[in-house]
Amino acid sequence: MGSKQTVFTREQLEEYQDCTFFTRKEIMRLFYRYQDLAPQLVPLDYTGCPAVKVPYELIGSMPELKVQPGPGDMENPFRQRIAHVFSEDGDGHMTLDNFLDMFSVMSEMAPRDLKAYYAFKIYDFNDDDYICAEDLQQTVTRLTRGELSAEEVSLVCEKVLDEADGDHDGRLSLEDFQNMILRAPDFLSTFHIRI
Amino acid sequence: MATEGDFGWEPEAWGLPGRGLAPREARAGQSLASVLNELPSAATLRYRGPGVLPWGSPEEEEEGGGRSSQALPGAAQMETQDPRPSRELPWPMQARRVHRNNQARAQGAYSSGSRVGHWARLLARGKDKTKEGLRSLQPWAWTVKRIGGQFGAGTESYFSLLRFLLLLNVLASVLAACMVLLPTWLEGAPPGPPGPSASSPCGSYSPHSPGLATFPSQLFNLLSGQGYLEWSPLFYGFYPARRHLAVTYLCSVFASGLICLLLILQRSVSGLKQTLLAEVGALTSYSHRVFSAWTFGLCGALHVQLRQRRILYELQVELEEAGVRHRAAVRTLGQQARVWLVRALLNLLVLALLCAAFYGVYWATGEAGQLQEEALVQQKPLLQLVVSYLPSIFISAVNAVLPPLFKLIGSLEGYTRSHQIVLILFRTVFLRLASLLVLLFSLWSQITCRGDAQAEACQGCGYNYRELPCWETRVGQEMYKLLLFDLLTSLAIALLVQFPRKILCGLCPGALGRWAGALEFEVADEVLGLIYAQTVVWVGSFFCPLLPLLNTAKFLLLFYLKKLTLFSTCSPAARTFRASMASFFFPLVLLLGLVLSAVPVLYSIFLIQPSKLCGPFRGQESIWAQIPESIETLPQTAQNFLFFLGTQAFAVPLLLISSILMAYTVALANSHGRLISELKRQIETEARNKVFLARAVALGSESGVRQNCRAPFGTCAFELLLKIRQIDPVASERAEGVIRQRA
Repeated sequence: MGSKQTVFTREQLEEYQDCTFFTRKEIMRLFYRYQDLAPQLVPLDYTGCPAVKVPYELIGSMPELKVQPGPGDMENPFRQRIAHVFSEDGDGHMTLDNFLDMFSVMSEMAPRDLKAYYAFKIYDFNDDDYICAEDLQQTVTRLTRGELSAEEVSLVCEKVLDEADGDHDGRLSLEDFQNMILRAPDFLSTFHIRI
Repeated sequence: MATEGDFGWEPEAWGLPGRGLAPREARAGQSLASVLNELPSAATLRYRGPGVLPWGSPEEEEEGGGRSSQALPGAAQMETQDPRPSRELPWPMQARRVHRNNQARAQGAYSSGSRVGHWARLLARGKDKTKEGLRSLQPWAWTVKRIGGQFGAGTESYFSLLRFLLLLNVLASVLAACMVLLPTWLEGAPPGPPGPSASSPCGSYSPHSPGLATFPSQLFNLLSGQGYLEWSPLFYGFYPARRHLAVTYLCSVFASGLICLLLILQRSVSGLKQTLLAEVGALTSYSHRVFSAWTFGLCGALHVQLRQRRILYELQVELEEAGVRHRAAVRTLGQQARVWLVRALLNLLVLALLCAAFYGVYWATGEAGQLQEEALVQQKPLLQLVVSYLPSIFISAVNAVLPPLFKLIGSLEGYTRSHQIVLILFRTVFLRLASLLVLLFSLWSQITCRGDAQAEACQGCGYNYRELPCWETRVGQEMYKLLLFDLLTSLAIALLVQFPRKILCGLCPGALGRWAGALEFEVADEVLGLIYAQTVVWVGSFFCPLLPLLNTAKFLLLFYLKKLTLFSTCSPAARTFRASMASFFFPLVLLLGLVLSAVPVLYSIFLIQPSKLCGPFRGQESIWAQIPESIETLPQTAQNFLFFLGTQAFAVPLLLISSILMAYTVALANSHGRLISELKRQIETEARNKVFLARAVALGSESGVRQNCRAPFGTCAFELLLKIRQIDPVASERAEGVIRQRA
């Protein structure tokens, strides 16, 4: 059963257990990680469901999402997109619910189609529900830190659209993306953050 | 009203797999994009749960809020009846909570009176807890995850394979302890070694040399399994000739082989499922590389940078391979012939190298036995040690020298990179497993005088009784030496090559230092080394029952050694190793190793006469002969049943039924494949239909048909047709036919 904890009611913890892929212990561990990000903001008692949001700068300071200032700006290229997709208003500030949501989707127990759904949202830079050619170009450039030449980038984007665009409208809809990514053998292991 | 030009539709974009531009938003009326957005499937996807705004909702509310709210109740109804667990819905936490509470209430209302539902829920929860408990039982789970996060999936697969092999060895040693050691002592202590005076028509056997042994010779005995180790529970020769022990000895070998087979099959089947699900690489390589390349779990600037470099490298390789394939397609006949000639020559070279290696191993094994008799060698224990380890040294040398040569040859052959890697792997696997088989073949030719039962040395006893009075122990000793030498080389390489190289890189500045320090963990080589070591143990476990126990200790040591080397000296690999290949290909090679190791063991059990002076089967015709004798002591029904299993009346129908099942499964798989391609074609057609209809609707609303047209159907249809004809004459004729029918 574990030690008595006063952060959540039993009802709340059971709800979290059913709504995420985490066990009770992991939820408590995640809560303490969240609380460590902003000890003054986050209360130690969530039984009253306080409306607390940790700002984006503090979320970005987690080692899993960190920015390393230094030569060449070596950050996780999708850090901002992840925070944007999972935050409540799209501005990167996350409540505890958003935080648990993010790690639940990125955990290893989440099924493929759930991950595919959120991966689509992350790669859709202009938020128009389609991954168009510009989104693709941005993705490829961020992945390779701008070290591919412009023709190579557009060649890669063209080949991706060739392969994955099922209805031939020049952009990837969610169905196209899901059909393609569900066959990727490594997707489950790369779209995964361990915490 | 906007004209067609504002829509930017290009005539060729319709119906062709061209790069159709996303239409610009209309100033009035609906555009194609907004029509597609209103389809029920799109609305369902954007639905995010009761009480939550759908994705992209602020725009919708400005333009077509009314229509989208119509689509929502349908979606909402579908979702509340969704039987999926709440945690799998792509909704925000609040919506999932509501869904979960609704589900719980619905379930409670449904099964409030039924105890069955209650028990079913308890059972499901119990199953979940058991699965979680089993998963947490796996040792080093956290270490393996950390390795995977830092060094990639290939390195993680090595350590997880090492852990799996450790489990196999633990099971095998437990079986050996229960079925071999225990029965030995249960019926009284086994007798001591036969003295030199004891003789029989098949020579004499005296494993112990009399008198005190010096320290160097003690060390030599420990390292080569001779002297006091020769007559110990470690080797076959020690076990007394008791009937029950003989039966359990044989059964333990078969039982551990069966358990290993089942566990490896289970592991490779789950890997196979993943690999079969993935599409053939050529069709989706770019999209997979772009979208599933980035490991989101990476942390630390160095790893991020390395990962980006790796992705860049892969994309460049992909582009380069496309260039190579293109060049290969436009080769003239003369160039093709030249390329094939080069490939044939290189393959001959590879064959020549392999034959030279195998001959070397064969010669070394033969010579080692003879050199041991030399007086010069007998005097110096160090020389004795080197001579007795000659086969192991040869095998390790061959395994260290040839694979880099194969890599070099592979790069000259002109195949694409992925082909090259597969070819190199095949050659290396063949080298490793075949060199072991050659060593065993050489031993066999010594034991059975090259299969000639009438040869002078083997006459009368069926085996070479003068040189090898207890041949099973000799084979066991060879396997024991292979195991020890493998461990010693791993230790030596780690301590004398890798660590000094790392220290050198720290001291040496500049390019030399960086080259020396760029140590990578070569996953393929290491995994093949593991599989080779395990094959050696499988071969040796019949002749040396405690070998799995020794191997458990060796693998434990190896785990910590490799982990230490990895974290202190290696940097993450610049090239990825596809994890899917690791989960399917390596268990397959392991299975191959198991099958190959069964060959010498089964041959010895059925076809070679057991030694007359040692072991639990002494005096029998063959080792297997013990089993039919023991069966005859069983009750009559059991006897009849077991004998029936060996007759043709059982084997032939079994074979027939298996063949029929296999043919049926193959036919089923074929028909599924055809169905899948048919469905894929249908999906494409439906997508085109959808876009056609959406454009028609957008056209209709743009020309204000809905607002202005109260005339009979014909006038509106005529205007619609005119618009469609401007875009696609063929489609307009089809539409014309439909409209004429209806009018």
